[in-house]
Amino acid sequence: MTRTNHTSAMHVPDPQRRAIQARRTASVAALKQSIFNRVMLAALVVVLWYLASRNVPAFVLPSPERVAATWIRLVSLPSFWEDLTVTLSRVLAGFALAAVVGSVLGLIMGFDRRIGDFLEPVVIVINTVSSVIWAIFALIWFGLSEGTTIFVVFMTSMPLILTNVWKGTQQVDPGLVELARTFRMSRSKILLKIYLPTIMPEFFSGARLAFGFGARVVLIAETLGSTSGIGYRLRQAADLVQTDQVFAWTITLVALMLTVEFAVLKPIEARLFVWRRLAAP
Amino acid sequence: MSNVALSGISKWFPCKLDAPLHVLSDIGFEAQDGRILAIIGASGCGKSTLLNIIAGLTPADQGHVAIGGVPAGGDAVVPLSVMFQEDRLLPWRSAARNVGFGLEAAPITVTEKTRRIRDALDMVGLSDFAEAFPHELSGGMRSRVALARSLATRPEVLLMDEPFSKLDPGTRTQIHGEVLRIAAAHAVTVIFVTHDVEEAVVLADRIVVLQPRPGTIREVVEIDLPRPRDVLTLKVTEAVRSLRALL
Repeated sequence: MTRTNHTSAMHVPDPQRRAIQARRTASVAALKQSIFNRVMLAALVVVLWYLASRNVPAFVLPSPERVAATWIRLVSLPSFWEDLTVTLSRVLAGFALAAVVGSVLGLIMGFDRRIGDFLEPVVIVINTVSSVIWAIFALIWFGLSEGTTIFVVFMTSMPLILTNVWKGTQQVDPGLVELARTFRMSRSKILLKIYLPTIMPEFFSGARLAFGFGARVVLIAETLGSTSGIGYRLRQAADLVQTDQVFAWTITLVALMLTVEFAVLKPIEARLFVWRRLAAP
Repeated sequence: MSNVALSGISKWFPCKLDAPLHVLSDIGFEAQDGRILAIIGASGCGKSTLLNIIAGLTPADQGHVAIGGVPAGGDAVVPLSVMFQEDRLLPWRSAARNVGFGLEAAPITVTEKTRRIRDALDMVGLSDFAEAFPHELSGGMRSRVALARSLATRPEVLLMDEPFSKLDPGTRTQIHGEVLRIAAAHAVTVIFVTHDVEEAVVLADRIVVLQPRPGTIREVVEIDLPRPRDVLTLKVTEAVRSLRALL
């Protein structure tokens, strides 16, 4: 009954709407399938982990329940939140600096070809230097201070953002720049109104990469040159062979990075690039 | 209201191995105030280059362009808009914000900007699509947005480089009608480039015929026919035929 009503209401077949509907149903099914797959994979890993841990000493591979107990104890400590905040603020400070400096330099290098050609070797060289080397230099220059960790995050993530923004400027449509010139737009306005929106997608993929790298190298910097933060705790745990502590911190970090990806980056991207998502067929 | 006067315009393009390519040679004509002038010629005769010179996008090697009696490129600037072959809409902006793009070059109040955008969208009949993104619009609608963007700055001179060549004939005729109506209503001086003789005869008061290598003026033809001009009437077909003979 309802079915006949439904079809008679749309007596003109609307293939486009049907195609959209079909695609949506398909994508919901695909999502369910992929969630199921992920849960199965996680369960499989835990089972294998459990089986493996039964035959080796706890300091080599602690069992899942032991790690869970350690994690619950860890989270209830006030120092846990202090360490987390300290490390996160270092990552954010280094990343924010890198985002600003990398974007400005990338835009300038893309806007003026001569400057781009001139500075290109510097970018290539900085990209080849290992984060550990930056950490050692930072230790020599800044000692055991906030500057050390922030510097390492900055030196690792800045070139990534710069390279992406610079690449993004090469996608600027010269036709749009010419159009702006017919309206007698100033160079700074052209930069702001045409270059900046064009590089946004590239900036985002660079920023995502840079944040991930920053969050990883901050631990190296903290183990080498800091007396607080997650990296410092990890070194302590390693010195005392508290393998369950190392596992608990690792799980915390993985969860944190996933949260940033799905609760911060993806929603921002979805909002910023509405025009792009709709443009896709 | 401004006329556009060209005198002795010449242009060479540098070539890597050969001698510089002579693109335009001693071009001089006048586009009258509030009238429509067409530039026609075979491809490669420097039509677009000539338009770019008038727009101030390309410098001429010799000669002068004066807009409204003022030498172009000076400080006293006559408002001028250019429509290109492509619509050149900013894909990340809605139709309304695309129309407002040209207004952002100079300081303008928000209320005035909103009003100009609304008026321009009204003029091209796209008020209902103000919030649509370019990819959501048809080719004809995109051309209208580009036209509205050109008009929002209240230009005294409108330059068009085969702006409707990619539209289907029906849409094209319709937009022609709109351009004529708007140009007449606002006393805009229009200069447009085309390779389509019919389009030139239907729209223009004066037609400059160019011949190639190097681009020189073959003839300047006045079209003094009543409007609207139907391509099927005898006088229009005669004019088209005699122009084709010149090309």
